[in-house]
Amino acid sequence: MSAALPIPVVQFCQVATIALAAPGVSGVIARVEARLQGRTGPRVLQPYYDLAKLLRKEALAPEGASWVFLAAPVAAATCYLTVPLLIPVLTSFGLPLGYMGDILGGGLILALASFLVAVAALETGSPYAQLGASRAKTFGAITEPVVLFVVFTVALVTGTDLPYALAATVRSSASQIVRPAHLLAAAALFMVILSETGRIPVETHTGTNEFGMIEEARPFEHSGPYFALLKWGSAMKQLILYTILINVFVAPWGLAASTQAGAVGLAIVALLAKAAALGVVVAVIDNSFAKLRLFKITEFAAAAFLLAVLGVFTLYLGGG
Amino acid sequence: MSAVAAPSVYAGGASVIAVGVLLAEFGMFRQALLRDQVRLYAAQSALISVLAILVAAVRHLPELYVLAALSAGLKVVCVPVVLRRLLRGIGAGRTGEVDPEPGWTEIAGSGSLSLANTVLLAIAVAAFGFFSVAALGIRSPVLPPTALAISVSVALVAFVLMIMRRDVASQAIGFLSLENGISLTALVVAAGLPLFLEVAFLFDLLVAVVVFELLIRVHHGRAESLSTADLTRLRG
Amino acid sequence: MLVVILLLLGAPFATALVSLRAPAAVAQAVTAITGVGSFGLVLALIPAATHRDLNYLSYLRIDAVSAVFLLATSFLYAAVAVYSVGYLARSRASDADFSRYARRFYAGLNLFAWTMLAAPMMSNLALLWIAVEVTTVVSALLVAIEDTDGAAEAAWKYILIASAGLGLALLATIFAYYAGAQVLGEHYNLSFTALLQAGPRLPHTPVRLAFVLAVLGFGTKMGLFPVHTWLPDAHSEAPTPVSALLSGSLLAVSFYAILRYYQVATAALGPRFPRDVLLVFGIASLLLAALYLLDQRDVKRLLAYSSVEHMGILAIGVSFGAPIALAGVLLHVLAHAAAKGNAFMGAGVLVRKFGSKRIAGIGGGLDLLPWSGPLFGIAVLALCAMPPFGIFRSEFEIVEGGFGASANAPAAVLIVLVTVAFLGLSVAANRMLLMPRDRSPGALSRGEPSAWMVVPVVAGVAVLLVLGIHPPADLTGLLARAVHQLGAVT
Repeated sequence: MSAALPIPVVQFCQVATIALAAPGVSGVIARVEARLQGRTGPRVLQPYYDLAKLLRKEALAPEGASWVFLAAPVAAATCYLTVPLLIPVLTSFGLPLGYMGDILGGGLILALASFLVAVAALETGSPYAQLGASRAKTFGAITEPVVLFVVFTVALVTGTDLPYALAATVRSSASQIVRPAHLLAAAALFMVILSETGRIPVETHTGTNEFGMIEEARPFEHSGPYFALLKWGSAMKQLILYTILINVFVAPWGLAASTQAGAVGLAIVALLAKAAALGVVVAVIDNSFAKLRLFKITEFAAAAFLLAVLGVFTLYLGGG
Repeated sequence: MSAVAAPSVYAGGASVIAVGVLLAEFGMFRQALLRDQVRLYAAQSALISVLAILVAAVRHLPELYVLAALSAGLKVVCVPVVLRRLLRGIGAGRTGEVDPEPGWTEIAGSGSLSLANTVLLAIAVAAFGFFSVAALGIRSPVLPPTALAISVSVALVAFVLMIMRRDVASQAIGFLSLENGISLTALVVAAGLPLFLEVAFLFDLLVAVVVFELLIRVHHGRAESLSTADLTRLRG
Repeated sequence: MLVVILLLLGAPFATALVSLRAPAAVAQAVTAITGVGSFGLVLALIPAATHRDLNYLSYLRIDAVSAVFLLATSFLYAAVAVYSVGYLARSRASDADFSRYARRFYAGLNLFAWTMLAAPMMSNLALLWIAVEVTTVVSALLVAIEDTDGAAEAAWKYILIASAGLGLALLATIFAYYAGAQVLGEHYNLSFTALLQAGPRLPHTPVRLAFVLAVLGFGTKMGLFPVHTWLPDAHSEAPTPVSALLSGSLLAVSFYAILRYYQVATAALGPRFPRDVLLVFGIASLLLAALYLLDQRDVKRLLAYSSVEHMGILAIGVSFGAPIALAGVLLHVLAHAAAKGNAFMGAGVLVRKFGSKRIAGIGGGLDLLPWSGPLFGIAVLALCAMPPFGIFRSEFEIVEGGFGASANAPAAVLIVLVTVAFLGLSVAANRMLLMPRDRSPGALSRGEPSAWMVVPVVAGVAVLLVLGIHPPADLTGLLARAVHQLGAVT
């Protein structure tokens, strides 16, 4: 009944799903959070309207900023469009372009995007942007070891570090889900995601608070379409990280096993549903905990590191 | 690099519970309030009882049900109640206190290292525990080898906890979590120990807790606080 | 014999209960009677223990090794019980305070002695651990009984460190169970004789681990470096009778526990590994104690470090392994109990007389205390292994065993360090006994505070002389059997 889609179309669908759905996931989180607080909250599609509005506005650049300032948002968005090719977004089998890079490669590209945005922020000479950039890089450096250990866990469990392989392993039997290494790595990765996407307890996503803003401060000086690109880019980063967590660690079911159009469509719906569910979890956490003071973020990173390290240790002792 | 095979569901589940015990131990570093430390201790003891029940069910050791029930009754109910009563009574003497239970919500003294550094130190100590147990090659009859490594790590991290804390109540709770680690080791390695010996160990623990309580009262009576900062008189 | 053993177990416990309720004078009298009676009962046990192991009620077991430790404990119990009659007199202001203090003191003292008498009788490693743990909690309360800041601090340090150490010892017990269960089946109940008989068949790694943990764990209570740090504080802040019991008996009971694990480890692993471990800890303790003895300000702390020194000597003696060294070790347990008890009791008199624990505050002891002064001096000399006292004989036997077993370097180190310790002790004793006091004496008259505090010390000196000059044949027979049981291998 459903036609088999050609591979390039499926690959395109991967990128398109992430790109188009990303602002929606942010919208879902914002609305659920508002609801939990007793407010009505913005529309779920509000971020799309925001992006559209921003695209129509004028772009300004500070004096003394070079071409990097204008190129960075574009480059970052390009990076964020590249990563979905590498991770299992829709399919459970590896697509040809997916072998371009493994988890480490994906991580490198994400880090590159973050770096470019930070450089652009540094260029501006604005105190807020520089503050945000320096904080983001510092805390990024602290969470790097966690990511590395999570990657090691994946490598030890599957023997490779292709994300597709780990997803297949997790699907293979119940014993793979219950093993402590897997649960610990997933928990550690979730904590890193909270840190990278700028959610409680690391940072408040809405509102600008000089004492606490990290990610949110970086795009301070950008405006118009560039600002839209940055916002969209950070939403894409969020959805990419969610996708990695969901489709590789936590719930790798519902992925298309073939290139049938129906299977791919089902996979898209499943992905969006799972991402929305994770968004609800993040919203609940947002409302339940207080933001950590900046110097306590090292404790948070230490806790994530603890989980990741324990994951590797349990693997070393046979079984884990 | 070849893949590490997955353990059975039972082994995986048991290991997860054991990891939970270790994480509770690490969590005690974070808890600033004595009340939270006591609750975390109760949670840790509850996890150990759950593990004992799991082992009893899967490995057909009915004596462990009794042990799990007794240890839960003692360590999840009695000991926290004793500690709560102690800490409540402690703060009562201070003047100008608005809080009706000042001792219960007292902030634990922290040591010289910051929390993140302490956790890193504890991770290093736990790593030492893991790898030395792996080198020993002792196979438990009822639980996976990860569980033995974790239990030894719990004991070692409890030592770090006792060293880093600067008030008597936290040190006592650290000691109690050390006993938890040791009873977890007993579960892993000595699950077949005759029941009455295990029960004897438990009641011995209760006696120790009572004596700890008495001595904390003595200390508080003299120093008007739970801090150990002034315990530097005897040197050389 | 069962009657004797049950009396030995029951009487101190009953006395403790009586002391809780009865007036102070009654408690004092009953304690003294129980103490001396217990010593008599243990003496009655010795001939029987020399010929066979006594096994009763499946949990009580007295062999020659246990008998030695029972002897040491019961002698000190008797001495201290008599000493406390004088010690507690007139030490408290009001009657109500005094009677409450006395009740707690005597109840604690009897309970403490009860647990220390019970521990060597346990046939089972788990019960042995429990007995040692109970000695910890009871003695911690006794250390805290004085109403001073120092006592509170010392008691807290003691119970925290000792309990943590006993946690390690519990781990040792668990691994010993594991080793035994591999050979004897899942329902192995930690019986000592069964483990010993299964010796060569036991898996090596758990036994090794259990032994090291036992040395560390029980060594915390014994006072081995580096886990001895509670010892000087607790022994100096406790009331003098309690200090005497702590130094003379409790350390010995902890050593007894280590000896049991040593027996198992030697049976399973051969003599090399256990002896090396004990040698390391012994030399370290002896070195530390000898150095610290050179610079002490407090007389009871001085004696506490001397205890660490002697415990180090015990560990080194066991590590030599020769039969004569082991005989020396067991004799040393007895002689040290007597000598250390004497020293503490004499120090108690000095402190009572001069009103200060500081060595600088005590002077002219020989002049002002016609009995206790010289007796304290004799006790210090005995501790320094001066002939003709018992410790000279025991240390001589240990060193002879060391040279005989070709452990020349450790034996030489032992001699050097004991000499250093002698230096430290004698400087302090000289200061306290021979030199006049710094400040004006202020109407201190010549005379003993109490005769009750002199009699036990005289008895102790008599014991030391007997042990040093000519130990009775019964005792040598007992020691020979104990050495044989410890598996001496030349």
